[in-house]
Amino acid sequence: MNSDSEKSDYLLLFRGADWHKDLSPDEIQKAMTTWMAWFNRLMAEGRCKGGQSLAPDSKVVSGKMKNVVDGPYAEAKESVAGYFLLSVSSLEEAAEIAKECPTLGYGTTVEVRPLLARCAASELAAQQMATADA
Amino acid sequence: MSSTPAKTEYLLLFRGLDWHRGMTPEEIQKIMIGWMAWSDRLVAEGRSKARSSLSGGGKIISGKDRKVSDGPFAEAKEAVAGYFLLEVSGLDEAVEIARECPTVPFGATVEVRPMPAQCLASVLAAAPLERIAAMLNDRAAAQPTAHAREPAQI
Repeated sequence: MNSDSEKSDYLLLFRGADWHKDLSPDEIQKAMTTWMAWFNRLMAEGRCKGGQSLAPDSKVVSGKMKNVVDGPYAEAKESVAGYFLLSVSSLEEAAEIAKECPTLGYGTTVEVRPLLARCAASELAAQQMATADA
Repeated sequence: MSSTPAKTEYLLLFRGLDWHRGMTPEEIQKIMIGWMAWSDRLVAEGRSKARSSLSGGGKIISGKDRKVSDGPFAEAKEAVAGYFLLEVSGLDEAVEIARECPTVPFGATVEVRPMPAQCLASVLAAAPLERIAAMLNDRAAAQPTAHAREPAQI
C-alpha cells in the first residue's frame, strides 16, 4: 500500500475581500506574513502545487445576450479573493489544511472543492460519441 | 528578444451547476461536445494553460472556531463548476473568450478575474506599513505590474 501514489487535486477558494476592514496596517502585515509562511511551507511539503490572489477589476458574462457587467461576481464578503491548488490524500486532509488559513478568524471563508480527475464535459462528450458508434 | 506582446493571466470561473436542468441527454451532450471543441481549441492556441471541472461536493471552513460544513459554498445557480486559466493580451480578450462559453445562453455565468503578476499577500507582507491601507483601498492600483507583465521566458 502506497498512499503517496494516491494523491488527488483539491481547490481551496478563499472567499472574502474585506477581512482586513477593521485591522491596523501592522495587523494586516502580520497576517500576510503568516499567510506567506503557510503557503511556502505547503509548497515545500509538496502538498500545494500553486496559488494566486485575484485582482478585483473583473467582468461577469451571463445571459442569452452574453451581457458583460463589472465584477467581481459576489459581494465583498463572498467574492473569491484567491486560491490554492492542493495535491493531497483526501478531502479530510484538504479540509485540515483549510482550517490553518490565517485569516479565518477575520472573516475569510475557505471552500474546499475536489477537482474531477476527468473533466465532466469531456466525459459527457465521450459518452455521446460512444453512443453514436454503437 | 521577442516582439510578442505582454501576456497576462486571467481566471475564468464558470458558475452554475444546473444549466442543464430541463434538457434532454442529447441536448446536454451536444453542448458538451461544443464545450470540448472550444476548450481544446483554446489550449491548442496557447490561450488556455489549465482547466478543470470541480466535483459538486466539498467542504466549507469558516469562522474563528474553524467550523467545517458541507459544500459547495453557494446555491447551485451560483456555485463554481470549473475554471480555465487563460494567458491572453488583456481583459478584453479574456472577456471575448468568456462570451464564447457554450453554456452561458443556458444560464451559466462566467466570472473573469485578472491574476496579479505578484500575489497580493506577498506584496502586503513586504510593503511599508504606511502604504498598506492605500494598497488595499485600491488593489488594482497596488498591482502596477499586472498589466505590463513581460512574457515569462524569452
